[in-house]
Amino acid sequence: MKHLNSKSTQLFLGILFCSSIPFWANDQYQIHIATLIGIYWVLVSGLNLVVGFTGQLSIGHVGLLSIGSYAFAILAGKLGFDPYLSMLVSGCLGGFCGLMLGLPSLRLPGFYFAMATMAFSLIVNELVLAQGDLTGGGIGLAGPLFPAPFESPIGFYYFVLAIATLFTWASLNIVRSMWGRALISIRDSEVAAQAMGVPIFRAKLIVFVFSGFAAGISGALFASLQSYITPDTFVFELSLFFFVCIIIGGKGSILGPFLGTVVLTALPELAAPLAKLGNLFYGILLLIVVLVIPEGIGRLADMFIQKIRPRLVKTEPMKPDLSRLAQTLVTYSDTKRGQK
Amino acid sequence: MSCNFRKLGLVLSLSAGLLVTQACLGDTLKIGWLSSLTGPLSSAAIAENQGVELAVEEINKSGGILGKQIELLTRDTAGDPTKAVNFAQQLAFTDKVQFVIGPVNSGEGLATVPILARAGIPNIVIGSLDELIDPVKYPKAFRMINTNRQWISTANDYALKVLKKSKVAIIADTSGYGTSSAKSATELLEKAGIKPVYSVLVDPNKTDLSDEMNKARAAGADIVMPWSAATGLLGRVLNARGDMGWSVPVVGHPALMAAQIRKLLNKPEYWDNTYAAGYMSTTYMSDGKLPAPTQALVNKVRPKLGGGEIDILFWWVALGYDAVKAIEYASKTAGSTDPAAIQKVLESTKEFKGVYANYSWSPTEHNGFPDSNMTVNAANTFKDGSFKLAPH
Amino acid sequence: MLNVFVAGLAIGMVFAAVALMYNVMYSTSKVLSVTTGHLSMLGGVFGAYAISVLHLHWTIGLLAAVLVGAAFGWITELLGVRRILAKSDEHLWLLSTLALATIVQQLIGLWWGTEPKPFPRLIAQDFNAGLLDQKFWLPIGITLLMAVGLELFYKRTMYGKVFMAMSEDPFAARARGISTDQIRQMSYLLSGALGGLAGFAAGQLTFAYFALGLTLTLNGFIALAVGGLGSNIGALIGGIALGLLNAFVSHWFGGEYQQTMAVGLLLTVLLVKPEGLLGSRKLRPV
Repeated sequence: MKHLNSKSTQLFLGILFCSSIPFWANDQYQIHIATLIGIYWVLVSGLNLVVGFTGQLSIGHVGLLSIGSYAFAILAGKLGFDPYLSMLVSGCLGGFCGLMLGLPSLRLPGFYFAMATMAFSLIVNELVLAQGDLTGGGIGLAGPLFPAPFESPIGFYYFVLAIATLFTWASLNIVRSMWGRALISIRDSEVAAQAMGVPIFRAKLIVFVFSGFAAGISGALFASLQSYITPDTFVFELSLFFFVCIIIGGKGSILGPFLGTVVLTALPELAAPLAKLGNLFYGILLLIVVLVIPEGIGRLADMFIQKIRPRLVKTEPMKPDLSRLAQTLVTYSDTKRGQK
Repeated sequence: MSCNFRKLGLVLSLSAGLLVTQACLGDTLKIGWLSSLTGPLSSAAIAENQGVELAVEEINKSGGILGKQIELLTRDTAGDPTKAVNFAQQLAFTDKVQFVIGPVNSGEGLATVPILARAGIPNIVIGSLDELIDPVKYPKAFRMINTNRQWISTANDYALKVLKKSKVAIIADTSGYGTSSAKSATELLEKAGIKPVYSVLVDPNKTDLSDEMNKARAAGADIVMPWSAATGLLGRVLNARGDMGWSVPVVGHPALMAAQIRKLLNKPEYWDNTYAAGYMSTTYMSDGKLPAPTQALVNKVRPKLGGGEIDILFWWVALGYDAVKAIEYASKTAGSTDPAAIQKVLESTKEFKGVYANYSWSPTEHNGFPDSNMTVNAANTFKDGSFKLAPH
Repeated sequence: MLNVFVAGLAIGMVFAAVALMYNVMYSTSKVLSVTTGHLSMLGGVFGAYAISVLHLHWTIGLLAAVLVGAAFGWITELLGVRRILAKSDEHLWLLSTLALATIVQQLIGLWWGTEPKPFPRLIAQDFNAGLLDQKFWLPIGITLLMAVGLELFYKRTMYGKVFMAMSEDPFAARARGISTDQIRQMSYLLSGALGGLAGFAAGQLTFAYFALGLTLTLNGFIALAVGGLGSNIGALIGGIALGLLNAFVSHWFGGEYQQTMAVGLLLTVLLVKPEGLLGSRKLRPV
């Protein structure tokens, strides 16, 4: 009988729970937010492998999101191709751009890599604005809807849920396998990892391309959800937002960044009635979270579970078998005397 | 089960938070107000907010609309289209507002107008980008500000017909608004048979514009037309013109006349020979007085702004005020807040008298601002938010 | 042409000043604070406030700018860095300094306003001085002074040598009895003061504008990367390169592809020399 790993059970139960949200959500707005969280999570799950597990300072993923969104809007909207195919093409384009970005920059030491990714996002934003004929320039493009049954808000929510599940399952698998341990070893000590034969550059590049693919798919879904995309949406601050989701969630876990994404997306909505003071409130709350729970929300959740259902550490006292030990010693000294 | 428990707890607390923001469906008429109070175009948004709040206060004091008090739900979008979309959805579905005013930023408007249209909520549009209005796609969206085209053609007409200039230099910024305005301006000029001698897009935070102005002069320009709402950029254009001693007229976006520009100028004289698209409703007439409705509103608003001189563009305040008044008019005439009835009333409105303008809409024209209200003002005649006419 | 050169040089020097500040903070804490640009913004805003609104003499305005910068530098260290460094998680400082930067930007936006406001004329000078206008030469002069001052500080004074010791090996420094916590606080105070000074000098160029912080942070970051982390001369070179590139690209090709070309060119520098022009490969593998 197959032994159901606890993480798989957790994932399954989580999916069940998320599927039930449309039934008890109050209105379309809450479903919209839930769908947005799902879309962000698709990107963050890919980015999590790069930032949380491989420890890279990647702050340019908004550029890949932008590429995915515009590719989808152009292919499925302007040119009228099949939306599912367009979504896949957006993903592949995201992955390809991830490859192009990663090849030269992953060799750079940490801080310079951050600068390269940041520069990438700034350049993509400028190019999108400048290539007006292709991307609509300042006016932007309409984001087409998926065909039935996914064009209603609830239908689209389930579609996004399915895709988010796929990506979560993929990253869970990567993390639990040898790959995951290799990535963590790169994060913690590159030299030791290299000494153990981990192909550092190849590993970094592969997860980066995967995160690019995730960003491309996420971009396509994002364009569809927003129903209209403009260059103003893809500002550098969004990249920092994704990065913050992961750090606040805690490195090295999948659940942590998920909770981080949920919290950070929902927070401005809760602060909405504050109008002018909303952003200030957001900054203060972020600072408090960082100072109070520096290990991340994921760790907080783990500590919470420990309290409810502590993992009992079984203590087994070791009792040496003295007679056998004595026997062994005698035999050994006999052998030694015999050798002389 | 542990994962389930964790997620349940988290989402429960989130839902509790969301429920708290949901106002009880009582006897109020809810108006949603999407405003970028922080971030780009915030000075316009803050001024429009003054007008909106004043109108709401006035109407509530005299009994409200159809017996209900107005509840104003203000959301700060900070210039972020994603936030604007989320708040539009929140206002439409959670708060269940009857009307939405805004957003102020055209970039946000492009994303929210379709959403509000799908939700069937009447939307008073106050962004100027031409693409925001479409009677077929967005049947319940009605614009009360002028269109971008009205600004550009008014300025172009003044430049070509009154000042009789023909060598135009266009300076715009690299924002979404700037790039599309530069394109429209060039198109409209070419329709009049003029090709710009120099056209450039500049980063709005560029610290010195003398290079671009030098190039414009070298290209033989006899008029400079800036299309940007960035105060810093416009101030630097005027400073560059003054510092290099070039006596060429500058005609363009109304932001050229904002009081903040005056403060950024190196010398007050740099504001001379500067004209911008403006409105008859905020122009001092030949007897030195403002039109009566405008003056009345100025008197009402002045105490709220500190009682002294008003140093914001007054048409912003008037626009906000009129937006709420239009909602009052439409609801009272229709006898209800049913969206279909509101649409019918607005589409058959001829000359609804507001402070900022007299609006007319029809089933095929949802841009309500009349061409007759457009004029050109002289920037250096700024007083209390209004201007004198530019020399005609 | 010369005009383009001088304007580019001036803004490039502002970026170089920010890169110098990054260096000072990085040397003692290995943290690249997002609040660096905001320190300069505060200098400009408070300088303008003191002189234009409170009508104080410009020397007092300068003092105010420097003090406010130093105060915010100290707050950055207190809230954003101290507790974070005690934990093992590496990139948490990005979050805490980002939160602080957001908070200060929003507060200044609410108080000072969101439009750029004028910065007063410091030295009586006519406005058609063209290239000799003080708005260009003030930032250039001040940044050069800052760079020279920092070099002298590091090479000649005891505290400077302590800074360098800390940047090379904090454990050894601690073993020699240096109070690393206090030195770190000092470095943030110094960096904030320098930021206030730089912002004050650049005020006429950039106007007193609340959103300036993030722009300076990003551009200073690029200047630092190109010049090489840890090198002051590199910071100067990186800043000048970025400023000049921005100006000349804008001059030749207009503003549409300005960032693409300028940043793209600098990225190619990194590809050729990954540790920046003058950065050193400070590798401590095992």
